Amino acid sequence: MNLHHEDYQHKVYIRRKSPTWWLRNIKYFMFMMRELSSAFIGAFLLLFLYELFLISKGEAVFNQFQTSLRSPAFIVFYVIALIFALYHTVTWFGVVGRIQQVKVGKTKVPPSLVTASAFAGWIVVSIAIGLFFFGVI
Amino acid sequence: MSSDKMITFKVLRFRPEEQDEPSEDTYQVPFEEDWVVLDALNHIKDQMDGTLSYRWSCRMGVCGSCGMMVNGEPKLTCSTFLRDYYPGEMLIEPLANFPIVRDLVIDMDDFMDKLKAVKPWIIREEEQPVEEGEYLQTPEQLSEFKQFSSCINCMLCYSACPVYGPESDFIGPAALALAHRYNADSRDQGMEERREIFASEEGIWNCTFVGECSVVCPKHVDPAVAIQRTKVETTQGWFQSLLMPGGKKK
Repeated sequence: MNLHHEDYQHKVYIRRKSPTWWLRNIKYFMFMMRELSSAFIGAFLLLFLYELFLISKGEAVFNQFQTSLRSPAFIVFYVIALIFALYHTVTWFGVVGRIQQVKVGKTKVPPSLVTASAFAGWIVVSIAIGLFFFGVI
Repeated sequence: MSSDKMITFKVLRFRPEEQDEPSEDTYQVPFEEDWVVLDALNHIKDQMDGTLSYRWSCRMGVCGSCGMMVNGEPKLTCSTFLRDYYPGEMLIEPLANFPIVRDLVIDMDDFMDKLKAVKPWIIREEEQPVEEGEYLQTPEQLSEFKQFSSCINCMLCYSACPVYGPESDFIGPAALALAHRYNADSRDQGMEERREIFASEEGIWNCTFVGECSVVCPKHVDPAVAIQRTKVETTQGWFQSLLMPGGKKK
């Protein structure tokens, strides 16, 4: 006899999740913050694209918008977006060694070295971009 | 050695023939240094209330059947000592994210269906005749999947996963870790057969890497890493198939 579980119907109770479930555990809270970070990073990118678009409208329009970006509200937004971007990057780079297995010949590179390389690469690229924008290189 | 100390157990009860929603029963249980939560539940059932229902079998962290929420955390009750909670109260509930059948017994049909869907067994395009002997593996090949083969299907990871709760279509940590375990096995040739399931939206791409599945895993399987590795391998395979359309997909 081959009976499948769907043949048996029984009463079950399905629990509802509390709206504050993500406040119960620091890891769930940080997960929700990482999800929320995408909203700020997305908004930052849209703003950046809009700035690029304004270049086509002439120097005066572009400069006027640049001035408005120096308002306290925009500065607060940029600081929050930066913190979220850093948090997002650190959490992902922190686990890259566990996820990405790197081999040199037949030898596996230790996960800590892979993670350290990712962070080092990030820092070097960030410094290079910074120096480029400040006209040093 | 018995002691006079007592510990309070609050246990979620659901009697489907009498109740529309669960309630809580409270028991005063003797506190013993060497008792685990399962010992206390067995004491309640044997000495205080024979109607209490829950699953258990091996009592040694192998069978994976005694998983419950202990003070809000998914735990194997056979490996969770009362001394780590005493003198505080214990709240014992059925594993979160699963429907309750009765008291501490959950409905695991959804998990069983998903487990079956990822085909967690070795698939060969062509079986080699028995006379040709075993499928040999090097220690390096074994190390690619050994960690992921320790899963005991206890479902603690499903209970800890904040994605599986609201999105029950998600294939989930244990089933995806097992899919990876077989995909990474040098003897297996079934990755393409499994791809439709593990690489779907309900599969690896639904995981947002909270990592709690790996934290609660009593066997250190690390399902979160198994899923992320599958994401990397699937993406690499996709690029490979773009660059070399005739080549074999990874």
